[in-house]
Amino acid sequence: MPTPIKVLVVDDEDEFRNNMVKLLHMQDNIEAEGAESGEVAVTMAGEREYDVILLDVKMPGLTAMGTMERLKEMNCPAEVVILTGHASVDDAVQLMNLGAYDYMLKPCSTRDIVKKIAWAVENKVVS
Amino acid sequence: MQGDQPNTHVPTWLAWVLPLAVPIAAVLAGPWTATVAALAASAAAFSVVFALGRALERARDRAVSIQDQLIQSQKMASIGQLASGIAHEVNTPLMVIGQDVELLEMVLAAGNMPEKMHAEAESCLEGIRRQVDRCGEITHKLLGFARKSDTVAQRIDANALVEDMVMLVEREAKRQGIVMQREYGQVPEVDTDPPLLRQIILNLLNNAAQAVGRDGVVRVSTRNASGRLEIAVQDTGPGIEPEVMDRLFDPFFTTKPPGQGTGLGLSTSLYIANRLGGTITAANAPNGGALFTVRLPLDAAAPAAAKAA
Amino acid sequence: METTRVLIVDDEKDFLDLFMKRMVRRNLDVHAVTSGPEALEYLAANEVDVVVLDVKMPGMDGIETLREIKKRHPHLEVIMLTGHGSVDSGLKGMSLGAYDYVMKPFTIDDLLERIQKARERVDINRGKAR
Repeated sequence: MPTPIKVLVVDDEDEFRNNMVKLLHMQDNIEAEGAESGEVAVTMAGEREYDVILLDVKMPGLTAMGTMERLKEMNCPAEVVILTGHASVDDAVQLMNLGAYDYMLKPCSTRDIVKKIAWAVENKVVS
Repeated sequence: MQGDQPNTHVPTWLAWVLPLAVPIAAVLAGPWTATVAALAASAAAFSVVFALGRALERARDRAVSIQDQLIQSQKMASIGQLASGIAHEVNTPLMVIGQDVELLEMVLAAGNMPEKMHAEAESCLEGIRRQVDRCGEITHKLLGFARKSDTVAQRIDANALVEDMVMLVEREAKRQGIVMQREYGQVPEVDTDPPLLRQIILNLLNNAAQAVGRDGVVRVSTRNASGRLEIAVQDTGPGIEPEVMDRLFDPFFTTKPPGQGTGLGLSTSLYIANRLGGTITAANAPNGGALFTVRLPLDAAAPAAAKAA
Repeated sequence: METTRVLIVDDEKDFLDLFMKRMVRRNLDVHAVTSGPEALEYLAANEVDVVVLDVKMPGMDGIETLREIKKRHPHLEVIMLTGHGSVDSGLKGMSLGAYDYVMKPFTIDDLLERIQKARERVDINRGKAR
């Protein structure tokens, strides 16, 4: 029985985050949890090992960039997938350069997100 | 307005010389000659003033229409910003709606609803999901539209660039019996952003072919019009209705049925043209079809006024 | 000017072989891959100037690949290649940032010229970035 993929959903929008966690958790091989801010995400990533972190670009407090920098400092092995409602190419490139696996534009279907999570995990295994 | 000198028929120096000519003639010649000279001078002065007046009017009209284009492009820039702001905000609620639909579908699948109600509920959810996707496409297009990258100037052969796009459209157009006609003028190399110009030309050609539909002609011509590159796309379609003329370049304006085409093509093209320092104008051709004309500076460094937008 | 580094992406092996043979003779540094994901992998690890990308490929098609390339490497220029010449994919590709759109069949000299023009722009892009 393959170990479930552990996903952390980081977004300050409660409804979106809760829905996302619920929908992902319903998938056979995914275990999902939520964090309402970058700071909480960093704390949680310190305590548990996640395979994939879904990170929203626009958050108050610790920004996506800031969160990624902190995760890098901690040598967090999770693959980060950026989820955003806004398509700034500069943001995307910056975050990719910081090590994000990919970038998805809202709205997107849960199916597409699950696919991306699966690819991110494959990527992780190879590297 | 840079570069827009009134185009007088009579040189201005004549307007100065003529009044002097009268007293000189009067002094040199007899009284009869003086009268003729005076009449001639008045006539000349009159025509100078008249020509100047007409030329000023023409220059003002041109200035007004260029001003319109500048206003349009400034409008576009702020619409672009507003639109991307809205799109950004709307994308998250759209996502949440989509998620709720997915959750509802699962509740439905698990529940024990009578067959007909189940089918009804399914179809409604499917409908909501379709509309959410449609909104998503619109916001994604808006965000693409507002994305601003610097224009990069390169020296290119405009005729070759236009011909590339014509050949691309020709492949499909031929199948509909549409003939692509070319009339390439002697045009010097132009300093412009090639991929952006390709977008404009491809958009205009595509519109022209769609306007024609079947069995018609799309004519592309280029020429050097007093130091500006002019690319004209004319078609034998139904032409542009007068009520539509003013709104043609407005974002989201489209004459296609709902769901088909976003109406961003022409507004994007105009926006790009302005950023390249040029304009696009629309008119009805003498034969009844539409005529779109792109005018660009030959040298990217020239009109800075439009680029500031 | 240093040799232009080109990545060609096309699922048709025969076309790739032909392309490689002719391009190598013209003093270009060419590498070939047969799919979008392979292209992204190669670009993540290697410096490239121009990508020549087939529009129609199984799996991740040309347009999707273009999108992903532009996301990660916005300074690269991409020339779309197509055997079918669809106006829609031309429009879509252009609006996504493709530099040029070429229909097969094409002459090698023609493609070379376009690669050079694309390279010119890449140099400008890179100059600006600094």
